[in-house]
Amino acid sequence: MSLLTVESLRKSFGTLGAVNGVTFQVQPGEIYGLLGPNGAGKTTTISMISGLLKPDAGTVKIGGTAFWADPQRARRQMGVVPQELALYEELSGKENLEFWGRLAGLGPREAKARAAELLESLELSDRANDPVKTYSGGMKRRINLGCALLHRPQLLLLDEPTVGIDPQARMNILEFIQKLRAAGTAILYTTHYLEEAESLCQRIGIIDGGRILAEGTLSQLQERLGGDRLFVIDADFTNTVPENWGAFLQRFRIIQKSERQIIAAAIGTRDPSECLKDLLELPVRVENVSLKRPSLNDVFLQLTGRNLRE
Amino acid sequence: MFFALLAKDLRRARHNPIPWLTNLAIPLCITALIGLAFGSSQSSGLGHIKFAVVDEDHSVLGKMLQSMTGQGTNAQKLEPVFMDRTNALAAINNNEISAVLIIPEHFTKHYLTATEPVSLELIKNPAESVNPAVLEELLGAGVTGLSAVSRNFHEEFSTLQSAFDGDGDFDQMATVLKQTGEKLKSAKASILPPLVSYTETETEIKPVPAKNGGVAKTGNQFSLFGYLLLGMSAMFLLFLAGHGMSDLHRELRNGTFARYHTLNQQLLPFIASKVAFTLVMLLAGSVIMLGGGALIFRFHWPHPLSLAVLMFSYAAFAACLMALLTALVADERRANMMNNLAGMLLGMAGGCTFPAEQLPVFVQNYFTHWMPSYWFVNTARELEFGSEPVVWWGMALKLGLAGLVCALAATYVFRRKFRNGLTA
Repeated sequence: MSLLTVESLRKSFGTLGAVNGVTFQVQPGEIYGLLGPNGAGKTTTISMISGLLKPDAGTVKIGGTAFWADPQRARRQMGVVPQELALYEELSGKENLEFWGRLAGLGPREAKARAAELLESLELSDRANDPVKTYSGGMKRRINLGCALLHRPQLLLLDEPTVGIDPQARMNILEFIQKLRAAGTAILYTTHYLEEAESLCQRIGIIDGGRILAEGTLSQLQERLGGDRLFVIDADFTNTVPENWGAFLQRFRIIQKSERQIIAAAIGTRDPSECLKDLLELPVRVENVSLKRPSLNDVFLQLTGRNLRE
Repeated sequence: MFFALLAKDLRRARHNPIPWLTNLAIPLCITALIGLAFGSSQSSGLGHIKFAVVDEDHSVLGKMLQSMTGQGTNAQKLEPVFMDRTNALAAINNNEISAVLIIPEHFTKHYLTATEPVSLELIKNPAESVNPAVLEELLGAGVTGLSAVSRNFHEEFSTLQSAFDGDGDFDQMATVLKQTGEKLKSAKASILPPLVSYTETETEIKPVPAKNGGVAKTGNQFSLFGYLLLGMSAMFLLFLAGHGMSDLHRELRNGTFARYHTLNQQLLPFIASKVAFTLVMLLAGSVIMLGGGALIFRFHWPHPLSLAVLMFSYAAFAACLMALLTALVADERRANMMNNLAGMLLGMAGGCTFPAEQLPVFVQNYFTHWMPSYWFVNTARELEFGSEPVVWWGMALKLGLAGLVCALAATYVFRRKFRNGLTA
């Protein structure tokens, strides 16, 4: 059974539809990535799942029970890591962890023991008693993550937990999240970093304009583009249109086109050498043709017509 | 959970005490300012009046004046210091004395011979208002007396002058003394006993229990210091509450309030803990202002316990009111402005700065009586200085209930705002 089920979730702010019918599920021991650009509706979706926002329509079920049927129970089953650092900078890392542990329902001793355990796991024991304001960005992010884990939640909601930190610190956090998944925690992970979604998530939902545009494993999403390879053709396409190139559009799907480059995927299962031959016969002066593995950005490009990083 | 939240705020204050200390230093300054300006009622208002006497005449009259100011009740009120003109002017410039009285050269001679008008010189300290005025009045009475003596004993004065100059003989002196004695004897019938007089009595005032459980007043001694301090404290606590409750905005801005809500459905414990945290600050401020002020300026509150309970309720109300305003105004800067404005409005219309009776009739009739600040200030003033029975606990309950309503309303507003997408 899914630990988190989101069905037709909708939320508007005035006339602006922030989330327009989002549906997905997260299984125990799975990292589900919600990938989309800024303003796509990721944080609004997480806010509704965590009970901060009341949806206009749709349902959120935690462990099969509707969130609003027993909101307090639902809240205690999940841990939420907000995008911004929600910490008390005057307090030490240890004091922060103990405090959030107490609020999550742990007794004073239990909170203390669990805080020590987490400080060890997050490799922050040596700075445990220092005020958080003296921590580096990466350390703050780790404490921010730890504060959601005191009560050992079955479901973890991570809203862009690696924003604004260096690659090494990001790597540490991602490794820690992998360990949580291995321990059976269901994780909803929102990000706009392609690499994170590709390397971390078992399944990915691509979200834009408040809608899930595509969903599946990385290979399933790549399949949408026609397999595991894309052709990158460099040429001068200024005064020509692909519609005039004979059977080109029956054999290839254009992912992106500019005046100097076309990225295309072959339709059906065709031999790459055959495809290459077709491309070299195009009525333009081809300067270069190369092959590349399709990325999530290419999928996003195909779905929305723009880059994820735009 | 409530205690975990409160402990967290207190721990934060311990780690970063400067805002707290600043908040506690301000009431200390306010108390000191009011105390220094209006002093304590029990020190009879004026205390010692220190002034300099410059005797450039070096005469018997000057010496008589010296001995007079240091005797009897004068010694309790007046503190003359004798010095030369230069030092006296330096002392007045340094604000060490209230005035300088100069007895000019040949004053005695001219006074006794009445050859020409004589005058004493009084230099008042411009930095003081009350003490120099008192000295001027006293000197006015003194010169009137000297003029009266001069007019009545003019004949005897020439003989006295000769005696002071060392030229008189004992026969002349004996004659002068005899004449003076006869004049005084004849004047006695006109002066004594005085036709109108007053008697000074001292009675101990004991509070009498009222029928309704309050305290019936038999007229506590009025203190301008205490009266003003209550009003200023009431107004200042509103500002302090606004400042304390701005921490709620910090929690919103830092996302910690939202994070709390992801763990707990109920928002009331969070609001209540913030009110309690602010209340601790307000009570510390109250103790400094009312308790510290009383200690420093040797002032006595007739009903300290009742006043403490009343103050507790009012502080709780102030914290809850500011929580509601914080909930209503999401923008931090605008909320700070609103809180200050509300504090000023409540303070002025509630009779904290001016006595409520001096406010415009329209304000008195339609606003003042609805102001919780008025409930507190009026009850506290009546309790401490009034002569009518005061049901102070009823007012304390009323303030507490008003605070509870504000806290519940704040919780409701925050819940609605969270559901609709509250952002800091």
